[in-house]
Amino acid sequence: MRIVILSSSVYSETACAMAVRLAESGHVPVGALALRALDSTTLLRKVGQWGARGVAHYARAKLIPHHADGPPQVKNPHLRPLLENGRGVLLSLRAVTELYCFPVASCADQNGSDSIALLKEWSPDVIIFTGGNILRKPLLDVPRLGVLNVHLGLLPEIRGMSSPEWSLLKNVPVGITIHYMAVGIDTGPILQRYEFPEARQCESLDDLRNRLIAFGIDKTAEVVAALDHGALSAIPRSDLDCDNQFFVMHEWLRERAAERLAKSRTATIAGAVHG
Amino acid sequence: MTDLGAAFRDRGHNKDNATASLVSTALIEATGLLRRPQRLVPLIQKLASDKIRLTFEPRHLYSYTKAKRPSEEILNSLLRWIIAAQRSDGGIAAYYSLLTGYSESYPEVTGYIVPTLYDFARITGDSSAIVAAERATRWLLGLQMPSGAFSGGLHGSDAQPSVFNTGQILQGLVRVYAETNRSDILQGAAAAGDWLVRIQQPDGSWSGAGAYQNTAHTYYSMVAWALADLSECSGSRPLSLEYAVAAEKNLDWVLGQFRPSGWIEGINLQGHPNYLHFIAYVLQGVLECGILRGRPDAIDAVAKSSWVLLRKFETTKFLPGAYERDFKGGCNFTCLTGNAQMSCVWLRLFEMTDDLRYLNAALKMNEMLKRLIPFRGRPGIAGGVSGSFPAWGRYQPLRYISWGCKFFADALILEQGLKRSFRATADTPAVKALPCAS
Repeated sequence: MRIVILSSSVYSETACAMAVRLAESGHVPVGALALRALDSTTLLRKVGQWGARGVAHYARAKLIPHHADGPPQVKNPHLRPLLENGRGVLLSLRAVTELYCFPVASCADQNGSDSIALLKEWSPDVIIFTGGNILRKPLLDVPRLGVLNVHLGLLPEIRGMSSPEWSLLKNVPVGITIHYMAVGIDTGPILQRYEFPEARQCESLDDLRNRLIAFGIDKTAEVVAALDHGALSAIPRSDLDCDNQFFVMHEWLRERAAERLAKSRTATIAGAVHG
Repeated sequence: MTDLGAAFRDRGHNKDNATASLVSTALIEATGLLRRPQRLVPLIQKLASDKIRLTFEPRHLYSYTKAKRPSEEILNSLLRWIIAAQRSDGGIAAYYSLLTGYSESYPEVTGYIVPTLYDFARITGDSSAIVAAERATRWLLGLQMPSGAFSGGLHGSDAQPSVFNTGQILQGLVRVYAETNRSDILQGAAAAGDWLVRIQQPDGSWSGAGAYQNTAHTYYSMVAWALADLSECSGSRPLSLEYAVAAEKNLDWVLGQFRPSGWIEGINLQGHPNYLHFIAYVLQGVLECGILRGRPDAIDAVAKSSWVLLRKFETTKFLPGAYERDFKGGCNFTCLTGNAQMSCVWLRLFEMTDDLRYLNAALKMNEMLKRLIPFRGRPGIAGGVSGSFPAWGRYQPLRYISWGCKFFADALILEQGLKRSFRATADTPAVKALPCAS
């Protein structure tokens, strides 16, 4: 199975962990394509989003990792088993490629003609999307089987952004869906859906998200193995005319979702104590 | 505001006249700057700050703007702006122009700002808002024509009765009556209502002499809302049912203008684009009238159109200030008043449907609007809502407008109320998901 990873940055922990997990299960990627960390459009956008101070802080953390006190650490603690080992800490895709010997390229736009040409050269069966641009049809058509995405919510119930938070507020089970990507957001055929049993143990929304990412990486490796053996086929969608798209959640509602999470955790602990 | 501001008023019936009117207005406004050159500094400040914001404001899928100032503080500054805009006659100015300063009092806006003043006083206990509402009401009652109608345009500029302005002022009178139970107020409101019922067309629309450009407009659903409101408050009076019937007749006519795409025909402002302000007027009027009259078909129609705009806002972080048919086209300015009205519509839809996505969109819209309220500056600027963002956009350029403050204050008041009564986290029943892999 020829696999390519798409990433929002060479420093993406999710992309690094995905590459390591796949390689460990015998599917070393044939390449990884990451967005450039610094291009003028992104920089301008980030200045607007975080302010100049926030951008400086981010750049310092990413570009000078040793500046912080102590040794560099993986931010998502649930990815540490994959990214921290006896050989050091894998904080960029370049460090991962040194270990598993596959090429990494960077680009300003994953949909650009240069990117498409490179991807075609790698001739992937599957592309795994871990972040980056909204993908256009020419890119989606490159892999033999399709572009895989791990959606941090159950499809078709929760489509779009802030899925774990919306799942909590809408009282839909928290979970992930591995699906092929299509031109619309979260509209492609579904490969597998998994409820996330540990949701009630999460301490915060960030903790929930981090655990879901690690869970998604693990399950992607299983899905890739099943695809490799021809043991899995996608389920076409019949929900696309429904209004089930959700958007980035406002902070005030996010606080309510966090309260709900805390409440379910308290109930779980109380249940364990009494039961 | 029907007439797009008296200075921008299009008295002609074709595009040439509208253009000529715009040019003459621009010249008049420019001479205002020559008379008061000290206005140049705030003008340049505003233009520069909008340009900087346009360059750096985040507008992508994964973020939304976040204001640093709390809603209560912004709400207070909006109301301070409105009270400062109250002229010596008791009426509230239509706008503060960065070129010419405050306009004359504007009866229409004065009328429908009254409910906002009472709402603000109710939640803050600020009696100055009630004093302002009482002064405004006295002034308005003095302007009522023997027929019961109110005239259009700025005070002193137009002696013709106007359907829309009468309806908008009626909203204020109904609220004053609900607050004070004064019989003279109910008499004035009933006279206005009777006039509106009298001149309504058999199909439920209002056209002819009392209508802007003599033609029927779907945004007169705001008039239907006022009549439905009057019907509620006049209770057992003999004409109460007639007001309700007239409101529903108009509602039926407007609902007939909704297209499958959610677009609404019949805004009918010749020489002007379909500004978001007027689209939102249609939606607000239909929604509120539908709620008062218990019409789920009206609420469904508004929900459909509002969802189109919600998707646009969520995916681009921006609502264009004007649209072509079927919400196509777009322009590079946003109409802040229209945005605030959409926030009100989404908040009310959340109340009616419990769909949290409406609340989510409204909260984000309010954040965006809060960031655009200047907290410093001379009276007329501090706490004001500009017509367009950027300030040179086509809708009410270089002006802070009183109805913008009114609608944004309404949105923040609604937001506060809904946040307090939020129950979804505790009460939402669990959804049964489809089967999952293990």
